[in-house]
Amino acid sequence: MSTFGAIVELTLRALIGRRRTITIAILAALPVVLGILVRLGGGRPDAAEILDALVIRTTCPLVALVIGTGAIGSEIDDGTLVFQLIKPVPRWVTAVAKGLVAAFLTAVLVVPPIILTGLLLGGLGSDSIQTTLGFAVSGLVGGTAYAIGFTALGVVTGRALLIGLGYTLIWEGVLAGLLEGTRFLSVRQATLGVATALTGDDVGSDPLGIGLSSAILFAVTAGGLAVTAVALRRFQLRTAD
Amino acid sequence: MQLDHVSRWYGNVVAVNDVSFALGAGVTGLLGPNGAGKSTLLHLLAGLLAPSAGTVRIGGRAAFGDPTVYSMVGLVPEREAVPNYLTGREFVRFNAELQSVVDVPGATDRAIATVELDDSADRSIRTYSKGMRQRIKLAAALVHEPRILLLDEPFNGMDPRQRLHMMELLRRMASEGRAILFSSHILEEVERLAEAVLVVYAGRLAASGDFRSIRRLMTDRPHRFTIRSSDDRALGAALLADTAVFGVDLLDGRLAVQASDLGTFARIVAPIARAAGIRLHELTPTDDTLESVFSYLVRR
Repeated sequence: MSTFGAIVELTLRALIGRRRTITIAILAALPVVLGILVRLGGGRPDAAEILDALVIRTTCPLVALVIGTGAIGSEIDDGTLVFQLIKPVPRWVTAVAKGLVAAFLTAVLVVPPIILTGLLLGGLGSDSIQTTLGFAVSGLVGGTAYAIGFTALGVVTGRALLIGLGYTLIWEGVLAGLLEGTRFLSVRQATLGVATALTGDDVGSDPLGIGLSSAILFAVTAGGLAVTAVALRRFQLRTAD
Repeated sequence: MQLDHVSRWYGNVVAVNDVSFALGAGVTGLLGPNGAGKSTLLHLLAGLLAPSAGTVRIGGRAAFGDPTVYSMVGLVPEREAVPNYLTGREFVRFNAELQSVVDVPGATDRAIATVELDDSADRSIRTYSKGMRQRIKLAAALVHEPRILLLDEPFNGMDPRQRLHMMELLRRMASEGRAILFSSHILEEVERLAEAVLVVYAGRLAASGDFRSIRRLMTDRPHRFTIRSSDDRALGAALLADTAVFGVDLLDGRLAVQASDLGTFARIVAPIARAAGIRLHELTPTDDTLESVFSYLVRR
């Protein structure tokens, strides 16, 4: 196995073994449960609205927050990261491996619930499939940007979970809806922009264009990996005797 | 390993203050009370902390910011946790893979056998005692056969038999030409294992080298001996006549002597006894132990 593969396996096993990951996996499945309940109740709500409100605005950033901050931040907190860093492995390799694992695990927890919820609520018609696939792709790219951004946050601060929650709830949840300029610094708005372009529905109010949305998500993803690599290269133990 | 005028501070707190030393092959004990700066020094050497001033070099390369140095370094940290979600064998194997060892399974087995954890290697680390965790950390640090080994309080949690085994192992590795630096606050461990010591106190290097040589250089401290002879009282009186001796005590069956200078005392004691017709049975230095050297250094 390559050093890259070893870091991927270690990170994946560490994340899967954490209680926090199991809790967030249950939260990620809630839209599916809602879809089943609605379906059983005979209701026909707008699938796009539900996916927008429940997944893109809620479970996707929360799952990415828990997974992303856990990919490195938790290993710094419990000290297990040191065993991976005291190896002749370039730190950017560690950064990319851990960022990709966070993105992959976020996608695993976010995308299947989108597909199941979309099809449960919208049925198997072509419009429903287009909406579902549009949200699945936007959840994938948005979740990747979130996860890698939060992975970087976990390396640069010991309060990544709190800051990430503040960003998601206050910046994206409140300010991005009130202040025009803040939309361009919102992963959620960019994710909704991608969803709008792919589904043909107007998701959210005044969504960003696909070009700008893609650029924002790419910048967050690439920037997150770069910040993680630089922060790991400069990594120092937070405590000493 | 070389530190050149290295300091490390955290805000207003100076953890390591202008420390310089160079170490080659052999076992060196890093000694100091809790909070003296031992772990900070080891973390500086391991490239896990950047020096605030000065340079730290390992094998001629900067220790901080160059991961390639880790191919020749093995570190056993004290506080850092081992991943509980792995078995002992998996932990060592991952370390071998990250070191790009050629024969990963073989190197893993050898490292586990070295620390005598073969029987428990396939158990989850979660079930390990503290001593077992220390040993699996050592196996992970040894798996790529590093030239330099840094160990932070390696004997913590080990039972006496495990300590003996670990000491034998470290001595053997040093005899193979490896440089081993281990920290401890237990004097007996350092005295039994280390060929040389680095004594740190309040962030400063108080002394370095063979501790008996350090003791001999402490000319401001009296050297203490006990003597058994055919006539302790007469010998005491005869010794007191020499300026190198400034105190004698008659204890139960022994004569306790305080001398200002070790070399002079060593030269005069036998001629004085002979001249007085006294037979010397035993002469024992009582304060050239590491404990007394250490207590002198930290009380300065």
